[in-house]
Amino acid sequence: MHVEYPKPRWTDKFLLLDMLEGLKTTFRELFKPKVTIRYPEERLEPANRFRGMFKFSFDRCIACKLCALACPIDIIYIDVHDEQREVDGKMKKLKVLDRYDIDVKRCMFCSLCEEACPTKPKSIWLTTKTYELATYDRSDLYFNMQQLEYWEGRPEYAGLPADESLETKKIEGGTA
Amino acid sequence: MFDVHEMEVNFGPQHPSTHGVLRVILRIDGERIIDAKPIIGYLHRGTEKLFEAMSYPMCIPHTDRMDYVASATNNLGFVETVEKLMGITKQIPKRAQLMRVMLSELQRISSHLLWLATHAIDIGAMTPFFYCFREREQVLDLFEEYCGARLTLNCMRIGGMPDDLPPGWLDGVEKFVDKFEDAVDEYESLLTNNRIWKKRTVGIGVISPEDAIDWGITGPPLRGSGVEWDLRRAQPYECYPELKFEIPIGKNGDTYDRYLVRMEEMRQSNWILKQCIPLVKKTPAGDIKAKISRVVRPPEGEVYHSIESPKGELGYYIISDGKSQSAYRCHVRPPSFVNLQALPAMAKGHLVSDLVALIGTIDIVLGEVDR
Amino acid sequence: MTQDLLLRYLIWPLVKFLVAFIIVQVIVAAMNWVERRLLGLMQARLGPNRVGREFGIPWGLAQIVADPIKFILKEDIVPSSSEKVAYFLGPMLPLIPAFLVFCLIPYGPPPTFVVTHVNVGLLLILALTSTGVYGIILGGWASNNKYSLMGGLRSAAQMVSYEVPFGLSIVGVLMLCGSFDLVHIINYQADHIWNLFPQLIAAFIFLVAMNAENNRTPFDLPEAESELVAGYHTEYSAMKFAFFMLAEYSSMMVNCCLMVSLFFGGWTMAINGYGLTTGVLRGMGLLGGILGALIFITKVMVFMLMYIWFRATFPRFRFDQLMDLGWKWMIPLALANIAVTAIVVLLGDQFDFQGEVVLSIAGAAIIVFTLILLLRPRAKVTHARRVSEA
Repeated sequence: MHVEYPKPRWTDKFLLLDMLEGLKTTFRELFKPKVTIRYPEERLEPANRFRGMFKFSFDRCIACKLCALACPIDIIYIDVHDEQREVDGKMKKLKVLDRYDIDVKRCMFCSLCEEACPTKPKSIWLTTKTYELATYDRSDLYFNMQQLEYWEGRPEYAGLPADESLETKKIEGGTA
Repeated sequence: MFDVHEMEVNFGPQHPSTHGVLRVILRIDGERIIDAKPIIGYLHRGTEKLFEAMSYPMCIPHTDRMDYVASATNNLGFVETVEKLMGITKQIPKRAQLMRVMLSELQRISSHLLWLATHAIDIGAMTPFFYCFREREQVLDLFEEYCGARLTLNCMRIGGMPDDLPPGWLDGVEKFVDKFEDAVDEYESLLTNNRIWKKRTVGIGVISPEDAIDWGITGPPLRGSGVEWDLRRAQPYECYPELKFEIPIGKNGDTYDRYLVRMEEMRQSNWILKQCIPLVKKTPAGDIKAKISRVVRPPEGEVYHSIESPKGELGYYIISDGKSQSAYRCHVRPPSFVNLQALPAMAKGHLVSDLVALIGTIDIVLGEVDR
Repeated sequence: MTQDLLLRYLIWPLVKFLVAFIIVQVIVAAMNWVERRLLGLMQARLGPNRVGREFGIPWGLAQIVADPIKFILKEDIVPSSSEKVAYFLGPMLPLIPAFLVFCLIPYGPPPTFVVTHVNVGLLLILALTSTGVYGIILGGWASNNKYSLMGGLRSAAQMVSYEVPFGLSIVGVLMLCGSFDLVHIINYQADHIWNLFPQLIAAFIFLVAMNAENNRTPFDLPEAESELVAGYHTEYSAMKFAFFMLAEYSSMMVNCCLMVSLFFGGWTMAINGYGLTTGVLRGMGLLGGILGALIFITKVMVFMLMYIWFRATFPRFRFDQLMDLGWKWMIPLALANIAVTAIVVLLGDQFDFQGEVVLSIAGAAIIVFTLILLLRPRAKVTHARRVSEA
């Protein structure tokens, strides 16, 4: 299929209608609603699946290291030791997390770690809708287990889903 | 009789209109270009070598970063190549195929919008930039709703898709698709008939069809020269054979024809999206992954597979040794890199102002050129 | 007696000039904000809206003050390999004629609102404005930067070539009005009709040429940011850069004033002697004068906004195309306009009809015809998709 457009008539050419057409468009646009927002006061609500800052749950984590394995740039550092503990009256060998650090400054937010996580609900997830991660110091972007779980001293924003709402991540009907 | 005073000008890498970090060493006589020599490599990150060190699923987010304005098609090319290597191309569920097509067509629209925006602002028309970005944001919103990221999507997996469509996504696409054609008309009212735009683009950087084929140019620059070659038709992948669309081709192979071809391609992508929506609704929800093992270990062999990315033929060549989880060698054939080589020949004899139009019309992304 | 003369020829003109100058400069400073804001609104965004929010100033209006402060406080970087004297002279040269011209422009009904009543005012203005190009060439060359040099050369070639159609387009008006005196031209228009109608072609050429003279889109090649980074002022920073800006906006203002005086009836709002003519305004005393000045400023602002509107809409010409347009189209067109005007006016004298009326009707017909064609609903571009669906 050849791309062809109707040739302008000589009147259109003579009267500069091609140029005036453009002027008309910009003039009409003057009165249309604007699409930009005034950022710090107005904020856009990220989508439910938005990949933002990490959140980690110590209780759910089974220390399987799958997330660290899945990470393409190896920024998840996990140390684990085995421990004998009494669970339901029986002595059981358990893996206990010593260290769960994420070097967020190198992270590319691909969410492969979240996909790799076998627990349900996930023990590491990014769908927190938190996107303002800039700091004044590089080292502030190295997060350890506690920081990832409680986000101490880090901004938290309204519109943060509670843990339960993580179910939005589950497969839902596409015909909706 | 006259002395020729040539001047050597360094065009880039820090220049507003080199679309990243392209450096062109120009020899100019007054304003006329005698010689243009593109120098690349300022954004080289060794992506191909990185692929040898990581497992196949880990490579997908890295493919995002090659052509960073069209990451969905990059993902698509990579996962399809690995699927071909594993011989599971036929097992991909229909729904996943349709989703891949929809995402890559949306990506084609967004990539072409970015091209139009920058191309227009290079030639001096400032306003189409903002109009294009307005619509592009809507596409990115759809991406964000689907996979959580706006630019580097990482939205495809070997054997299927990471997630099913979120509720209401198809309605969002429908809403966008309905409005988009009017938006394209609006851009065209600013540019297509405008005599200044025509003066700046008609007859600039003509590539003959023979030259285009000889250089290995693909995508809109090839079609602008009048060669009807679109990999979606020529080597159909996913469910493109079932979808109706036209391949727009130009006549003269100049910048204006390439502009028209891309504008028409946006409309065609829009049409494809329109056809996809009812088809997706027919497929069962949740059927988005082929049943394959989590560990991707393709058999020994090598494969080349290419898809039609917004910029041309995006090919991946992967060699697998059959033992490890990562590629023995992965080579990428980026369309921008191949198309860029036509720049010196196109630029010769034109003015400096035309050079920016030419860089724009090839539609390069330096992340892809340098990899 | 001496005192009287002093008062009449020095003190009063000086005071008037200063008042006019300050008002004009405030408008010029405000234009920066107006331009950005209007461009924003036309481009689906808001434009500057933040500065001064803390002090309760709406719409980012404090930008007008903030920009000059920033220019003054910025570091003034002089490239080490630049030609120092020329580099310093560069920004100043275009500024002087651009400011000087303001004392030649009649802002309202004379004598109060006319700074200096020169009977060849128009010639003087043309002569002064055309000297502005030296600074740009000098600045571009002295920066010792290839892009600046190219920008300066482009600017020089462009200004020199467009000076010709700029001057020629005025000739038709002069033929109708028979004077170089702007006050006389304006009064003539009030008694007859705006020169726009009999001299439509000339007005169009003037509009194009004044865009080209001021290096504004679509003729902004000298500072084409996507080609030459920033053209002749690439290496300029801080207040030196601001001087270039100021000169550019001032000469935009001058050209708009000329446009209004020559083709749109200046401070009058009258046709065939009915309406707000100079006489009527004078009869109202000072109030009438202020009203006239307001009308004048409003008309000027319309054209200033037109510059911005053009900037928002058009792509940029290429250098050789710009020269083609100037020499192959604008100058012949201007000459043809002169010939046609002369013939019609002379024929009118010969056969006893008013040539001006004939020209006016033709001009008005063209305007109306264009508007009708423009406002009718356009057939949409034929989409290949629709073709293939059918």
